[in-house]
Amino acid sequence: MTAIAPPVAGAHRIRARSDERRRGWVRRAPLLPALVFTIIITQLPFLVTLYYSLESWSLVRPGSQHFVGFANYAQVFEDSQFRTTALNTVIMTVGTVLIAMVLGVLLALLLDRKFLGRGVVRTLLITPFLIMPVGAALLWKTTMFDPTFGIVNYIFRPFGIGKFDWVGSFPLGSVMIEMIWQWTPFMMLLVLAGLQSQPKDILEAASCDGARPFAIFRELTLPHLRRYIELGVVLGAIYVVNDFDAVYMMTQGGPGISSANLPFYIYQRAFLGFQVGQAAAMGVVVVVATIIVATFALRLIFTSFSGTEQAA
Amino acid sequence: MAEVTYDGATCIYPGAERPAVNALNLPIEDGEFVVMVGPSGCGKTTALRMLAGLEEIDDGSIRIDGKDMVGVPSRDRDIAMVFQNYALYPSKTVGENMGFALKMQGIDKDERARRVREAAKLLDLEEFLDRKPRNLSGGQRQRVAMGRAIVREPKVFCMDEPLSNLDAQLRVSTRTQIAELQRRLHVTTVYVTHDQVEAMTMGDRVAVMRLGQLQQFASPTDLYDRPANVFVASFIGSPAMNRFDGTLTEDGIRLGQALIRPSSKQLQEARGHDQLVVGIRPEHVAVSVSGDLTVKVALVEDLGSDSYIYGSLADEPDSNIIVRSGRDHPRPGEVIKVSVDTSHLHLFDAGTGERVGD
Amino acid sequence: MTSADVAVPAAQTAEPALYTGKRAKRRSNSLTWGIVGWVVGIIFFFPVLWMVLTSFKTEAEAYTNTPHIVFSPTLSQYKAVFSSGLWPYVANSAFATIVSTILVLVLATPCAFALSLRPVKKTRDVLFFFISTKMLPVVAAIIPIYIAARDLHLLDNIFTLVILYTAMNLPIAVWMMRSFFLEVPGELLEAAEMDGAPLRRTVVEVILPIVAPGLAATALICCIFSWNEFFFAVNITATQAATVPVFLVGFISSEGLYFAQLAAAATVATLPVVLAGWIAQRQLVRGLSFGAIK
Repeated sequence: MTAIAPPVAGAHRIRARSDERRRGWVRRAPLLPALVFTIIITQLPFLVTLYYSLESWSLVRPGSQHFVGFANYAQVFEDSQFRTTALNTVIMTVGTVLIAMVLGVLLALLLDRKFLGRGVVRTLLITPFLIMPVGAALLWKTTMFDPTFGIVNYIFRPFGIGKFDWVGSFPLGSVMIEMIWQWTPFMMLLVLAGLQSQPKDILEAASCDGARPFAIFRELTLPHLRRYIELGVVLGAIYVVNDFDAVYMMTQGGPGISSANLPFYIYQRAFLGFQVGQAAAMGVVVVVATIIVATFALRLIFTSFSGTEQAA
Repeated sequence: MAEVTYDGATCIYPGAERPAVNALNLPIEDGEFVVMVGPSGCGKTTALRMLAGLEEIDDGSIRIDGKDMVGVPSRDRDIAMVFQNYALYPSKTVGENMGFALKMQGIDKDERARRVREAAKLLDLEEFLDRKPRNLSGGQRQRVAMGRAIVREPKVFCMDEPLSNLDAQLRVSTRTQIAELQRRLHVTTVYVTHDQVEAMTMGDRVAVMRLGQLQQFASPTDLYDRPANVFVASFIGSPAMNRFDGTLTEDGIRLGQALIRPSSKQLQEARGHDQLVVGIRPEHVAVSVSGDLTVKVALVEDLGSDSYIYGSLADEPDSNIIVRSGRDHPRPGEVIKVSVDTSHLHLFDAGTGERVGD
Repeated sequence: MTSADVAVPAAQTAEPALYTGKRAKRRSNSLTWGIVGWVVGIIFFFPVLWMVLTSFKTEAEAYTNTPHIVFSPTLSQYKAVFSSGLWPYVANSAFATIVSTILVLVLATPCAFALSLRPVKKTRDVLFFFISTKMLPVVAAIIPIYIAARDLHLLDNIFTLVILYTAMNLPIAVWMMRSFFLEVPGELLEAAEMDGAPLRRTVVEVILPIVAPGLAATALICCIFSWNEFFFAVNITATQAATVPVFLVGFISSEGLYFAQLAAAATVATLPVVLAGWIAQRQLVRGLSFGAIK
């Protein structure tokens, strides 16, 4: 077709194409600063991390930097502490997100009812999420969980629990309780938004159709909430998996590494052990794992938001 | 199938200055099609929702087959409701939507499927049974909502403006379909609409409401021929009935300069009501050289088959009058004479608005 | 009139006692839920309440086996906190928060515009990219960032934090702003174009006023995240550029465990964000869900 086109038309087409290209850039221009900035600040470091992961480098020994290939990775996979902290991270993330979601759904159902002072209760309930994570962790470690002066032991005193050291005995559990406390409001807010977006006439239709409240919840409300719950789980997991503050403040990963998660462990390796190469290799492993999980999660979000629900 | 009785039924929304529905009395017979009609905010939808159990009965009662419904939740009333926006369950297919109530009753799957198919056949929905509501057109959704109601074989159908989201053409055809279906199924039906044409064409009886009060409950012809008050007279009929302020005299009723003479029986009944509102439908006014009233023509609507002349009485520029005429009509600006068919006069007391005489 | 013949005064018909019983039931139901709601609300809020109460106690009152609900409040803990050099930290936090938020809005607004009202090709891919940066663990990036900052002599520099916080919040802001832009009716752009307004003026005079509340909500979310951020702050800063969360940590190690003083410090540290979050409750959901939920 191009071969038999007369030259004039060809020139036209070329001008049209360059015009189009110019207009494309005009459209793209407002986008570029943010995009370029994000790429430089967030993507470049990962590439550098990838590079570091192939080196042996201790920050405290200048000049120790040299290429070692995949040795760091071999060490990472042999490192039983890495495996423990990875497992901790999974337990912490799954446990926190799921429990927070169940509580969040219950609280949202409660707040969806009309009662006196509902707005105030809602305000009270979202507060834990707004508390600075460092402050919240500190608060739980001291005023709540302190063996001698903590409120938790005071409440349990009638049940014969004396000066029990919660953080020392259940470090992972204590950190999780603090995080559940912080993340339940987040889940609640999302689910509540979902509940309130459900058209009222559908609920009325169901009660005319003879459905009892629990049947309405199971048959109609839960399918409607599905995408909100999925979104809450994915977003909650993104933040919780990266949590550093609570572990750092409450247990420092201890005793030993019993409550350390990957962010904390890698931080320890890099900034306390000064093992840049190893820490970088761990980082890369975590990134790869995250990409695998995230692709999965992102697909979930996008399908649930493009609205292709399964038959209920 | 059931009788439905509104017995002084009252609904008060918290903080409202007047009841949304005030002491409504409506005896509805078994198998009857009753339409509630009125302008928005008249309480018709609230009255329907009280029957469905979606709104509290704050005073009085509503009985279905003699059973008091106060405090009975919707699910135990055996009523089916068709909502204005259909309220189809988005996560369920058409078939699941229609079978939902049966599922809630614990009816087994095969029986459910059989009854859903039956209803689907009736409504021409068979090919859509596996689709989700969002993949249906407005008309199809409306039919699914109907199907969901009829599958149940309930005691009462409640319909809340079910046609208001359809386009004009579909609305007319669906109107007759619903009326026909109801006659066939013979299920007591309460139907809410703001459209007086729907009210007139569909209902066995029509309840006209205004500001939470029942104005009149009668058959469509009765409503048209003997409106109980000025509000009903002006609300029912299109174009609206002409209304003039009149003064009762010895030998007739004076409208400005003109004197009209109703039948002596009607004149007799009007004694004691000195100030009257005289109502006359456009079709009972005719252009005539020997007419009593002088009309200045403002606008003519030519509908093809006939036309409506809009104008005002020559001696009262603020008044409005509509005259039905043939294709041969005067032009705007002309002054014409019209005569009134005095055998179709409606008289209302100017103070109370109530009908005077029979 | 057919309606007249059935008029029976309602109150006199059958079983008035039964009526009131059933009518009263719903009301008491909502009372039950109200009580449950308040109890749960207070349980969740209790740690915060306790923090605030403790901050007004003396250390002796804070350290009791049986917690004191009633006590004579004192401001001495707050005095102690402020005299221990909190102000420079607050100033750093405020600077990093405000400057990074402004930067985020300046970068995100045109970007979101190009992804909504005047969408570029591959909009979906760009959006995908932005959200995916939030999924990658920060810890994997901290090492090169630290080393780069060290080599460029930007460690313990508040501007490093500003840049990092901007990058941290930019994806959220882009998604959020986009969701606000999508609510602007497209006809508005067309109408303005037909009125002969150039695109720039349309944006400034027509679009921006409409999305202004969204802009405010986005700013607020960014402020909350920046103010509370700890990981970068503790790794990149030392003394000059340290922020409030770092102060809290330093407080605990240098002063030992003084409950009351700690509570006062934590109260001061959390107060700005808590207040902001309370005010912006409605927008919070939208920000937290990247604009996916209104």
